[in-house]
Amino acid sequence: MNNDKKTENHPKNASPQLSRRGFIAGSGAALVGGAVLMSGTGLFAADSKAARKIGEESNRTLLRMARDIYPHDDLEDKYYRQVMVPLAQKAETDPKLMELLTVGVEALNQESKARYGTTYLNVETEDERVVVLKAIEPSAFFQKIKGDLMMGIYNNPEIWKKFGFGGSSWEHGGYINRGYDEIDWI
Amino acid sequence: MAKFDLNDDSLVVIIGSGAGGGTLANELAQKGIRSVVLEAGKRFKMSDIENDEWKMFGKISWLDKRYVEGPARLAKDFPNLPAWIVKGVGGATVHWAGVAMRFQEHEFKMKTTNGTVPGANVLDWPITLQELEPYYEKAEKKMGVCGTKATGMPFHGKSSHYKVVAEGAKRIGAHCEQAHLAINTQPRDGRPACQVAGFCMQGCRIGAKWSTMYTEIPKAEATGNVEVRPESMVLRIEHDANGKANGVLYADANGNKHLQKARVVAVAGNSIESPRLLLNSASNMFPNGLANSSGQVGQNYMTHTTGGVYAEFEKPVHMYKSTVVPGVVTEWQDNDPTRGHLAGYELEILHLGLPFMSAFMNPGKSGWGRELAESLENYDHMAGFWICGEDMPVESNNITLHPTEKDQYGLPVPVVYKTDHINDTRMRNHAYARSKELFESVGAFKVNDLPPYPASHNMGTNRMSKHARDGVVNRWGQSHDIDNLFVSDGSQFTTSGTENPTLTIVALTIRQADYIADQMKKMNI
Repeated sequence: MNNDKKTENHPKNASPQLSRRGFIAGSGAALVGGAVLMSGTGLFAADSKAARKIGEESNRTLLRMARDIYPHDDLEDKYYRQVMVPLAQKAETDPKLMELLTVGVEALNQESKARYGTTYLNVETEDERVVVLKAIEPSAFFQKIKGDLMMGIYNNPEIWKKFGFGGSSWEHGGYINRGYDEIDWI
Repeated sequence: MAKFDLNDDSLVVIIGSGAGGGTLANELAQKGIRSVVLEAGKRFKMSDIENDEWKMFGKISWLDKRYVEGPARLAKDFPNLPAWIVKGVGGATVHWAGVAMRFQEHEFKMKTTNGTVPGANVLDWPITLQELEPYYEKAEKKMGVCGTKATGMPFHGKSSHYKVVAEGAKRIGAHCEQAHLAINTQPRDGRPACQVAGFCMQGCRIGAKWSTMYTEIPKAEATGNVEVRPESMVLRIEHDANGKANGVLYADANGNKHLQKARVVAVAGNSIESPRLLLNSASNMFPNGLANSSGQVGQNYMTHTTGGVYAEFEKPVHMYKSTVVPGVVTEWQDNDPTRGHLAGYELEILHLGLPFMSAFMNPGKSGWGRELAESLENYDHMAGFWICGEDMPVESNNITLHPTEKDQYGLPVPVVYKTDHINDTRMRNHAYARSKELFESVGAFKVNDLPPYPASHNMGTNRMSKHARDGVVNRWGQSHDIDNLFVSDGSQFTTSGTENPTLTIVALTIRQADYIADQMKKMNI
């Protein structure tokens, strides 16, 4: 993500004993902490109309799911909310979408209970939640959330800088005089 | 600008305005021959072009209903998007990286070179490299291809993305060179020099890259010999009692139908729409479609053997600060069966922006999760290739008409069947392995193989052949069956070659225009 940080966190820069697997596990642990912090919140303020309509549990489940689909530990919740809130808001007046979301969350929880004996939100590790998501991957519900997230996260100019993408450049004269040929390690 | 009457039967009617149609209109216009260009898409302005991948995808792509069939992954990932091409004045020359390479000599005679290939429908072209060379020269001059004798324009400078690949190529002993691009490196032909915006594929905002949208088309219109009718979808080609093409029925933006009379008809709607139109033009005299006595219309659909390879490095590359294709590893472009496959491939250094990288790293339903997210966090530490290799012509890879479903014009929806010949699979695997070796030699810690995206190179569905029984058109792109019906796009390719098709389409079109002018003068057509 942001470049300085990446150099520090980069798997190649980690201690030689720490395998890539170890690095991933480390990030997972950090995420569990994040999940605890997040547990009181969902897409909407708990007392909002939208939250009441979609249900508090679904509200929080959708956000958890969003973070599990494209997990970027350094990316604040607000960027995931920016995608999920309009979706949930649209569902308020779109019964078909509301059904897709509520039935989808139910299916997700059913799958979680069958595998881990608890709802999705309470499944502890990301690895386990991924197993649940994988099981519902072909569903229209999952693909709708994934599609909206992909556009909402990676096509969001606000966070391109964090990923090191320059976005539109012609209005700045392109890169002809802005370092197109600069590289110091070749 | 010219305005011609629907009943004017002295005109050449050109269907499509891209590399083939746009070029043909201008070449004929410069010789004083009048034409109407029917273009299905709109006319865009330069200000419509944005450095934005998804916006431009939505704005300019051909998104009419199509089906992809076959066991290839593409059919699952993109069931309705076999091809990634443009609906608009300028056609696919709006959406291309500008790579302009000549075919190699052996690529015009693949049957002679390799003999019969089981499961493939390989044929020699009825023309040779020597015959096409003067036209390649003219095409390079017209399009402004850098690094050629024809223009004298230097190559683009070496971008950081290029440098990473060139170093890897050096370390494994592979040849890498800067790309011959139809993108100005100096002001030329009324267009500016490239400023390296990095969005060649989305349309060049300043017009440094050649596109018929702002070169051939306005030049043709300026002669007073050409009328371009945008938003005109051709429904069928009509013929007279003698079997000569004599008019083209099309629907305008409001769905009103018009019949434009014609002396000559040239089809240049790209390799899905062109055969589709010939098939849709079936009549009592031609029950299997126009120009289809061989049964080859719509067959032998080729897209190049493609795939992507993106490597992740410890240190930044910033690949997006580059022309989209700054260079090509040409080491395996030759035909060397000892590699385990026939024909060759190029590794074209090519970047995607972050939005497209997220969509194409692992396209389809399973493209999510921590591994993908981590790779995308390394976006600015990536370098990569687009593999572009010769694709075996296979008769069953084809364009057919849907038996029941119709599109918004009332035409049967095209069904595109495409799957690998075993040679394609072997070639792609070879390319993946060599790419990995190359990137690891410069320190890549992870190398991602990407499956083929929807095809921007579409070829072969109205192929050129010496004998009428083997193909649709002759050495001039003139249909074997109907003298005044021509094919002017990549669908006339007999085999795909490994090079990007645009330069060859333009060279063939310049040559075809000379022939059409000559034949009209002699009153043969």
